[in-house]
Amino acid sequence: MRRSIEDYLRLAEIGNRLRGVFELWGYREVTFPAIEEYSPEIRKGTKLAYDNRFHLINPDPTSRIMRAFSDESIRLFYITEVLNGSTRGEWQAGIEMIGFPEGSLVEPIVVAITALEALGVDEFYIDIGSLEVWRRATEEIKEFRDVVFSALIKRNFEPIDRLPIPEEKKEELWRLFNFRGRKSGFEKLDLLLEIVDDERVFIDLGTVRPLPYYTDIIFEIYSPKVGKPIGGGGEYSVGEKPAAGFYLDMVALSRLYTGKTRGRTRLSSKDPVSAYREAKRLVKLGIPVEVER
Amino acid sequence: MRFVLPKGRLLKGSLEVLRKAGYDVQKPGKRRLIERFNGNEVLVARAFDVPVYVEHGVDLGISGSDVVEERKSDVFVPLELPFGKCRLSLAMPRERVVSPEEMDGYRVATKYERITREYFSRLGVDVEILKLSGSVELAPKVGIADAIVDIVETGETLRANGLVEVEKVMDVSAQLLVNRISQKTKFEEINELVFSIKEVIKDGF
Repeated sequence: MRRSIEDYLRLAEIGNRLRGVFELWGYREVTFPAIEEYSPEIRKGTKLAYDNRFHLINPDPTSRIMRAFSDESIRLFYITEVLNGSTRGEWQAGIEMIGFPEGSLVEPIVVAITALEALGVDEFYIDIGSLEVWRRATEEIKEFRDVVFSALIKRNFEPIDRLPIPEEKKEELWRLFNFRGRKSGFEKLDLLLEIVDDERVFIDLGTVRPLPYYTDIIFEIYSPKVGKPIGGGGEYSVGEKPAAGFYLDMVALSRLYTGKTRGRTRLSSKDPVSAYREAKRLVKLGIPVEVER
Repeated sequence: MRFVLPKGRLLKGSLEVLRKAGYDVQKPGKRRLIERFNGNEVLVARAFDVPVYVEHGVDLGISGSDVVEERKSDVFVPLELPFGKCRLSLAMPRERVVSPEEMDGYRVATKYERITREYFSRLGVDVEILKLSGSVELAPKVGIADAIVDIVETGETLRANGLVEVEKVMDVSAQLLVNRISQKTKFEEINELVFSIKEVIKDGF
C-alpha cells in the first residue's frame, strides 16, 4: 500500500515514543549513514554500484552494530528504515545489548513489553523458544538435525515421522513440537519466564522460527490483531561476547498504535511575549505546550 | 476460522478433503468470493495468491507447492495433501531439444520466475527469463522464447504444442498452509483440523 504523509507522521510518532522508552532503560541511540561500503558481514541492504565500488543502502542495523561495537559492552538502540534488495523497506526500531553476561535476555524482553505498553498496545504475546533445547534433543541423531530444523520451520512433522529413528525419540520430538505453556522443565526457559513475570509471555518450542545467527533463546512478538509477527529477537554473540536484542516492526505497530497523547497546556498568543515566556518555562519543566495561533 | 481456497484445478480436492475432515465448507456461490459456514469463512482466490493471503492473516489455505515455493511466503506448511499431484518441468520444441546445461543465453518463458531463476543458477547457466501469466506453451510456438518452465500433468498440452519435457524441476502437490500467528492464537483449533485431515489421508483419501 502506498504510504501517505499521515502514515509517515505516525511512524515518526511511534519512533519518538519508543526512543523515550529505550532512553529510560539506559540505551543510547546509534545513527548510521544511509549508504555503506559493501561488506559480506553486513546483512540485507539494497546494492548500489557507485564510483566503481559496491555499496549497500540502509542495510540491517544489527550487523552494523555487531561490526562497529565488537570491543565494547554497550546498550544501544536504533530507529531506521531497513532495505532488503528493493527500494521499499521495513521501518524497524530495536535495541542491542552487547557484552553483558549470558542469560541477560530478560532485559530485552522487559524493555519490549514496556515499549509496547508505551504505545498503548496491551494485546500482544511473546513466545519464547530455544535452539539449545532442539540441539540437545537431536544430540544422538545429529545426522538428521537438518531434517528436524527444516520440519520446525514449516511446522510439518511428517519428515520427522519418516526418519529411521526410535519411536521414543519421535515421541519426544513430537512433545517438544507441540509444547506451548509456562513450565517447560528446561531451567533456563522457566527461570526467564519467572523473572519476566508477565502473563503474556509463553514458552513455545514448536512455532518460534529457529533463525541461524541466534545462539539459543529466541522470541517472537505478535498480536492477534495483526497476521504477521510485530517483532522478535534473541541471543547471539559478537565475537566471544554474548549479546541480545530485539526489533519491532513499526509499520505493523502503526496498525495497533492508539496514538493517545499527553494533555497539553494551551497558551493564547494574544500577548506573544508572555505566551512564549510561559511556554519556555513549562517546556523546561517537561510539560507539553501549544501556543495557539 | 478463515480459509482461503484456490480457484481452478485444486478447488474440488480442497473442498473434499475439508468435508471429509468434518468441515462442511461450501464453495461460494456464483459471483460471491466469500461464504460463511458454522462461524467460519471461506474465500476463493487465484491459486497464485493463496499463500499471500495466508501470510498476511487468513488462518488457513490450500495451495500447490509450486506456488508456495515461487512466492516464498512465510507460512507454516504442516501437511502435504494427496491431490493436485503433477510436476514443474522444463520443456522445449521437439526439434530443438538441448540439455539444460547447454542453455546459456536461452530465453525461457514461465509463470515461475523465481523457481526458474534458482534452477538455472544452481546449474550455473545464464538464461533470460520471460515472465508470463498464462498459456506459457505459446511462447516457443510464436518464437518469443526457446523453452518454457511450466506445470505438466499428463503431458497432453505439451504434445499438442509440439513441446517435449526435458527435465523435471520439482514435484508438485497440494499443501495445507497455516498463518504463523493463527497457529499460536488458534493453537487447539488448528491442531484439531491438521489431525483430522491427517486421519482422512491415512484412511486413503
